[in-house]
Amino acid sequence: METVTYMKKEEIIIRGRTVYPGKTEGEALVSKGPMMGWGNVKADAGYTVERGHPLYEMPFKGKILILPFIRGSGGFMAYGASALFGSNPAAILISQPMSIAIMTAMILKHPVMTDFDRDPSKAADTGDFVYVNADEGYIRIVKGGHS
Amino acid sequence: MRLTDEEKKLLDGGEGYLAQRCMRFLVDYGDAAGAECLVDIDGTVDLHPGVNPCWVPDYRLSQDEIEDAAKRGYRFKTVTFTNKPVPGFIIDGCEGCLTYPSSDPAYRDRRMSQIRPLIEMGAIPTFSCDYYLSGTFWPTAGQHCSWGESSAIPWVNAVLGARANFDGCFQAAFIGKIPKYDLHLDENRVATVKVTMDGELKNDIDYELFGWAASEQLEMRVPALLNVGRPTVSRLVKLNTGLTSGGQVRMYHIPGVTPEASSVEAAFRGNKPSEEIVISREDLRRVYDLVNCASDKDVDFVYLGCPHYNIAEVQNAARLLNGKKLRAELWIMTGPVVYYLAERMGLRRIIERAGGKLMSGTCVGELNGELLPYRVMATDSAKQNYYVTGHLHPREIQIWYGTAEECIDAAVTGQWRGEWKR
Repeated sequence: METVTYMKKEEIIIRGRTVYPGKTEGEALVSKGPMMGWGNVKADAGYTVERGHPLYEMPFKGKILILPFIRGSGGFMAYGASALFGSNPAAILISQPMSIAIMTAMILKHPVMTDFDRDPSKAADTGDFVYVNADEGYIRIVKGGHS
Repeated sequence: MRLTDEEKKLLDGGEGYLAQRCMRFLVDYGDAAGAECLVDIDGTVDLHPGVNPCWVPDYRLSQDEIEDAAKRGYRFKTVTFTNKPVPGFIIDGCEGCLTYPSSDPAYRDRRMSQIRPLIEMGAIPTFSCDYYLSGTFWPTAGQHCSWGESSAIPWVNAVLGARANFDGCFQAAFIGKIPKYDLHLDENRVATVKVTMDGELKNDIDYELFGWAASEQLEMRVPALLNVGRPTVSRLVKLNTGLTSGGQVRMYHIPGVTPEASSVEAAFRGNKPSEEIVISREDLRRVYDLVNCASDKDVDFVYLGCPHYNIAEVQNAARLLNGKKLRAELWIMTGPVVYYLAERMGLRRIIERAGGKLMSGTCVGELNGELLPYRVMATDSAKQNYYVTGHLHPREIQIWYGTAEECIDAAVTGQWRGEWKR
């Protein structure tokens, strides 16, 4: 007879401000540093081609894309435009807000949150599982993947 | 968002269909941003003409609707400048530039005719990423604006002391209002971090490298920048470009230089800095190495003008090119106003006699995949350098980065001889 021990995975709940409402869930794709736009986001293919970026050519389709802030051009809005190609992230969580993030959300029309009480780009790592409840203004991170 | 009776009337269609459509965007945008209200724009608006006078497709007016509005005599409420058209095309000097379709004047004329209704409505055809240098009309300190170009945002906020977020669009220009949040509010404009340059900033590109290195650590915080001298206009533009490439610094103070801080104490409004950062020449060197992504010394393309060259920069380039013959292709990009000045001054002729091209209205990045398959490029812009590899993806290109003098030397000799100066 086998004995299986179930380990409860660590969960982190973070509250934030909703920019675009909705509920979704998925695997986290986390950028620990900023991300940029202007020709460097391939909206149709669904990945960044920013030189030397740790997420270079890593598909964000269906992921919970998490980043600390947007640097540089308004071309970041191509992350929103990826929804026109169906290659979009399920949600985007941007720790530090600005106008470009707001308009990205209006283009994406999937859950986007910002202004968190704890920085999700620090709390989450790629591969964690994230529940996004932008209707009620919180996210739940399950460390190490699906519980 | 709280609306005034006048704004409610606009939103309810009491002032017509076009005003209602525009208000719908401003209200939805303001709500999403968490703004409490709209603010009257008493400064200026900057928009990207072309297919994109609004950033969010759902709220865009069609070409037909804009033409119809222009015909009916509708006019922008604000003084409104045009940034580079999106997607890009060359306005002056496109003939013979070896890229298609932008080398075709008929294509240029067709694209210009799409923009004409915006000009009829009052948009000023500056067609430049640094239109604020050639536009002849600036917002004054404290005025509320709506601009849209990452490297221009620190110009309006830090250099002019006016107030703007990155949100310039048709709707802001037509209604003359924009959501009041973020950099429109006093409390978000105060310095919280002290950044000191340890060492000398010796040339124009040092300012871009300093801005890049500082903003990597600043992220989006507002700094007071110390020991950076009294930068020229060219250097301020470079600084702003670096500050919005390495990070996203949209507001800063140089005590004694920028209008919102006569002293270090004023920059912090009497508060203590939350952090003090020191930037050394080694930090600049690290960014220099980051953007220099080339090993082949045989240069076949040189690009100058990101952001668009001002007239003093075109003049300097022409002096360096006078009497020379180029081995590599050279583009010098500016806005139409500066192009006109350079033409009158005979600078265009000097550049062309050497084999170079003076152009206006766009840049290599904005032309996206249109660039001919050059193998090794050189530029004096870290921003252009860093973005262009992504623009050309999956094509590969090597890009050198150095001073304007080093880039022009590369155009003359066909060889990269630039090096880091300690």
